[in-house]
Amino acid sequence: MVQEIITYPRPLSLEYGTDVRIYDEKLFSLLDDLKETIKANNLQALSAYQIGSYYNVIVFRNEEGKLVEMVNPLQIAHSGESIEEEKTLYYGDISAKVKRFTDISVIYEDREGESHSLKLSGNTARVIQRKLDYLFGSSFLDRLADDEKAKFEAKLSMGSDIGKENYCPTTFQRDKIIKAINLLLIAMVILFLVSFVVDTSLWKYQLYSSFIALSLQVVYFFYAQYEGNKYSSCVSCSIGNIIGTTLVSFVRLSVVMIPSYFFM
Amino acid sequence: MARLVVLGGGVAGHTTATFAAKWLGSEHEVVVVTPNAKWNWIPSNIWVGVGQMSKEEVTFDLAPVYAKAGITYKQAKAVSLNPEGNESSDKAFVSIEFTEAGREGQTEEIEYDYIVNATGPKLNFGATPGLGEGSQLGEHTVSVCTADHAVHASKKLEEAIEKMKAGTRQKFLIGTGHGMCTCQGAAFEYMFNIEHELNKAGVRDMADMKWISNESFMGDFGMGGLHMKVGGYVVNSKLFAESLFAERNVSWLIGAHTNKVENGKVGYELLDGTMGEEEFDFAMLIPPFAGVGLKAYAKDGSDITSTVFAPNGFMKVDGDYTPKKYAEWKAADWPKTYQNPTYKNMFAAGIAFAPPHIISRPMSSPNGTPINPTPPRTGMPSGIIGKAVAHSVTDLILKGENAHLHEAPMTKMGAACVASAGKGIFDGTAAAMTVFPVVPDYETYPGTGRDTDYTFGEIGLAGHWIKHVLHYLFIYKAKLNPGWTLIPE
Repeated sequence: MVQEIITYPRPLSLEYGTDVRIYDEKLFSLLDDLKETIKANNLQALSAYQIGSYYNVIVFRNEEGKLVEMVNPLQIAHSGESIEEEKTLYYGDISAKVKRFTDISVIYEDREGESHSLKLSGNTARVIQRKLDYLFGSSFLDRLADDEKAKFEAKLSMGSDIGKENYCPTTFQRDKIIKAINLLLIAMVILFLVSFVVDTSLWKYQLYSSFIALSLQVVYFFYAQYEGNKYSSCVSCSIGNIIGTTLVSFVRLSVVMIPSYFFM
Repeated sequence: MARLVVLGGGVAGHTTATFAAKWLGSEHEVVVVTPNAKWNWIPSNIWVGVGQMSKEEVTFDLAPVYAKAGITYKQAKAVSLNPEGNESSDKAFVSIEFTEAGREGQTEEIEYDYIVNATGPKLNFGATPGLGEGSQLGEHTVSVCTADHAVHASKKLEEAIEKMKAGTRQKFLIGTGHGMCTCQGAAFEYMFNIEHELNKAGVRDMADMKWISNESFMGDFGMGGLHMKVGGYVVNSKLFAESLFAERNVSWLIGAHTNKVENGKVGYELLDGTMGEEEFDFAMLIPPFAGVGLKAYAKDGSDITSTVFAPNGFMKVDGDYTPKKYAEWKAADWPKTYQNPTYKNMFAAGIAFAPPHIISRPMSSPNGTPINPTPPRTGMPSGIIGKAVAHSVTDLILKGENAHLHEAPMTKMGAACVASAGKGIFDGTAAAMTVFPVVPDYETYPGTGRDTDYTFGEIGLAGHWIKHVLHYLFIYKAKLNPGWTLIPE
């Protein structure tokens, strides 16, 4: 069946890509879908990830025009490098300069699980490398050099984090609050140590700092819950995690303040 | 009074012996048989190998530590097991051969009530022609598997740096020395630590660096890859490793079985069947692991080695060793209690137990040569297994033969690993990785077989600090200093 090719801004897949372990009807129909979609859209190659499957499968049209099925393809050797302007179906007409190998050696399996290998060069090698980038759950964007990536992202109407609200994100704004508290705690430890070598009492500063840290912890506690509500399937956003992080931070503050109270 | 004999004093053996001694108290005896006089924190050997640490910093003498813990210590290697005793006695015993200075070659038979095999791996350099003989490192390459090897490697590295300073280009080849190796992580660390040192010495532009490995994709690390967090982005370890290699200008060759090592040259076979050669001036190639070659004999003296040990020399435990196809591998195949099915007073911990199958997808070249990483059993799983086995043996001794055995299956165990990519307080980097579970469980976690929330990596300076702190922490723990039981495995 011809499948819809996922394009930006729809997220590619919510699962991490994985190898095929079982060679059954499910795999055969995926391979057939890929072939039909390639024919219907007159494409050179397609990765299963682009039609919403998380399996490491690619189908491509070779130089004789025949469609080759590649299950669990892997690039094992390479030579030569070139930088060329490239586009990918997912991002439509936006292009970027990508550095790739000019010759590659790829191993893969067919639908029966039999191993094969291919040596590719030129444009086919470039296309297969682009398709390989989609495997294991990555995309074109991850392959770009930092400056090229920044330029590319600027052209994207909805940014590069699109669709990630269903994921557990890797960075939170709330982590910045914890970072600030930690820096403050380090400063307080230094202040505590300094108090032994200077004559003036530094207790007042220590006390004010602790008030700031405590207020930041309260802010963290409520803000983290607000931020966590944006992500439905996120373990690290659960209330237990937020309480735990706040408690750990409070214990740290206590560890600094108790000796400060007695010795400063 | 019962006697527990622990064979081996590495992470698994040391953990088993020290916890068992603590829990059993002075009423029972714990004996450790290990050929080494020193305990070695192996993860730091890579820093010895680049001259950033001395051998003394990563090792300490075992004798005083065992004296403190009330453990009987025998510096010897185990030769054979007699789990049924011999014709004159029904008591099980192990035959050992001393390696201690002054007593070399002397033998002894130690009777036991329980025995834990934690002998670790034999560094099987002999598996690849030219890489070495048996467990002895050959003359063409270096290794960082032991502290002494690492000292030797650092001298060779120094010589290479001198040559580059004098204007001679040097080719570095780092990776695995066989198609069935594990420990790609150590080679990965060593490679980037060398790269870091070459930069510091100002000779990086005089060096060509190449990675050769049996992994079938970059970033496999012997465990099927994982997802990394880099500067706020999530990328899989494949792209992460490929980008890191490109950024540090290191070329790579994977799916490779090193089949021959000669002076300045290695021969290899790739997964696609092609054969090739790669030249080098400096090569560090990790050897494959094998069991240490313990023998086992029945009461009548007949050889029962194949009953007790798998063909690769590792001890059979409560895993399912029936040969199965990759698609049929299950988490339930993996051992839980590490008890030998034939002799219930025998356990194996750490690298010494026989895994039912590998973790990565089995692969071979068209010529039939198997080329895939074998299961990694790093310090953390080894320590956890060692502690569980110590718990089981303690209960068997204190509560009787029907005591419940403690379980620590690798399919329900996470592992954390910090791979250094350069040592330095302000310019060091390391990749911190966590994997859960170590062995993929495809039934519980369809797809990758892993819980993707807990299978993660991150690279940065903080990772280096963690690695450095762990170095001191684990040596502190292994020396049984106050509070050692509070430090996790």
